[in-house]
Parts: sequence; C-alpha cells; structure tokens
Amino acid sequence: MLRGVLDLCLLAVVAEGPAYGYEMTKRLSARGLSIVGEGSIYPLLGRLERDGLFDTYRAGSNGGPPRKYYSLSRQGKRALAAGTAEWQTIRDSVDTVLGLAKAEVGA
Amino acid sequence: MSEFVSDCRKEWRRLCVPDAVANEMASDLAADLAEAEAEGVAPEEVLGNGIFDARAFAASWAAARGVVPSTPRTWREIRRRGWMTVAGASVSVLAALAGLALLSHRHAASVAPGMLRRFIAGPLFVPRPLVIGPGPGGVLLMNGRSDLLGLILLIVGLGGSCLTLWLWHPWTSARRRSATEDNAGIPSYL
Repeated sequence: MLRGVLDLCLLAVVAEGPAYGYEMTKRLSARGLSIVGEGSIYPLLGRLERDGLFDTYRAGSNGGPPRKYYSLSRQGKRALAAGTAEWQTIRDSVDTVLGLAKAEVGA
Repeated sequence: MSEFVSDCRKEWRRLCVPDAVANEMASDLAADLAEAEAEGVAPEEVLGNGIFDARAFAASWAAARGVVPSTPRTWREIRRRGWMTVAGASVSVLAALAGLALLSHRHAASVAPGMLRRFIAGPLFVPRPLVIGPGPGGVLLMNGRSDLLGLILLIVGLGGSCLTLWLWHPWTSARRRSATEDNAGIPSYL
C-alpha cells in the first residue's frame, strides 16, 4: 500500500465515530481493507496522535477494560478533507493513464 | 499472546519508555489481542507483520508516539560526539589563544617563515636568544622555548579548531536526517 494511504483510511474510519485500535482494524476489514502483510496500525495511531490529528480519551468498552479511544481533532478533519481531495485527483490521473494503456493494449 | 505483550514491555523498558506510557500501550495491546482472539481473529490481522518481531514492533510504536528517539543508539552516539566536540572546541580555542598570547608577548622581530635554524636549549619560559634568518648576525626572531611553545599551541589550537569543524558535520547532517523522519503525518501518496 502506498505510504500515507493507510493514514488517510484511519482518519476516514475514525471520522465515523471514536474508536479504539482493534475497532479500527475491524472497520477497515469490513470495507475490504485487511492489514495482513502490512505494518500494524498502532505506530500509525501513535504518529497521528503526536501530530495532533487525533484526540484521545480512555473509556470502558462493552464491559471490558478501559480502552484508548481516538477521535478526529479539528486538524485531523482538515487533513482528511485535504487528503481525500488529493487522493481523488491522483486516482483520476492514474485512471486516465491506465485507461490509455488499456486502450493501446486492446488495439 | 501474553508473551508478545511481555516482550514488548521488555523492549519499552530497555528503551526507557516512561512506565505510564508503557503500561497504557501494554494494556491497550493486551485488550485488543484478547478481543481478537475471542472473535477468532488471527493476531496477524491485528498486528500485521509486527507479530513476527515484538521488539521491532514495540520500538516503532514507542518512536511513533515520540517517547523515545527514532534511533536511540545513533542519538546516544551523536550526543556523546556532541559533548566531545564542544570539549575539543573549547580546548582548541584556549590553546590557540594561549599560543597567541605567548607569541605576542615574546615577539621581538618579524618572522621569516621556514627560516628556523637554531634553537638554543634552555628551561621552559626562560627567554633565550634564537637566531633565525640569513645575513650577518642573523635576525633575532624568538626568545627561547616559550616562543616555540606559543607557536606549537597556536598550530595545535588552529588544527583542533579545523578538526572540530570537521567533526561537527555529521552532527548537523544527523539532525537533518532526523527532522526528515519526523516530517510525517499529513498523508502523502508519492
């Protein structure tokens, strides 16, 4: 996976509502994004928190032990909006390039 | 899985991660792994490749949180080198200043570089005439060992200063490297 894409995906799943680490993994998996073979999300969460993109708090989880919940900070919302726009631009450009290649291969 | 968390704790202890932070990370990790296990999810799906190397996983997590330097050993070396460089610079400057002071105090005539021909031995800091240069009678340039000592101190001081500047270079380049590593967070795709 391209560097930074998982960051953006984490911002996106947390935008749905506060979540703890494993909960985010489940949300990603539910959308077809498995992290098997990729690095863990924990260092990414640490970095995003350190960079001020996440706010955190501790709370109980379904009767389990207290967990660290991550939510989007104002800066995180801005980063998500900017990253989404940037991603769409890149995706469109890549689609165009691949579309041309496909047409040439098919011809 | 408790073994994995235990290995992470050992690594955090080795890296001098504050206890409060280490306890928090260990608690969250243990709870997540227990929940995954209860749901029949493989730990690889929670930790990715991290499951195969607890120490690397723990170190990268702690570094990402900013509770340890990204490369602790390198930073320790850089810090030690920094102190050595500062000490070397101080000694070099002091030596150069002492040499200049001795030379300016004892200087009796203009110096003709490379013309040193004879040195009359004598006790340290006791001026003795030193005849240097061509011509009848020569030119009195220096007064004994104290002048030579001054010259040596000046050369050593200047040499030490050059060495200090040379040693300083890896220090600054390492700081630049670290700043680049820290420049992460906003998504970048290319």
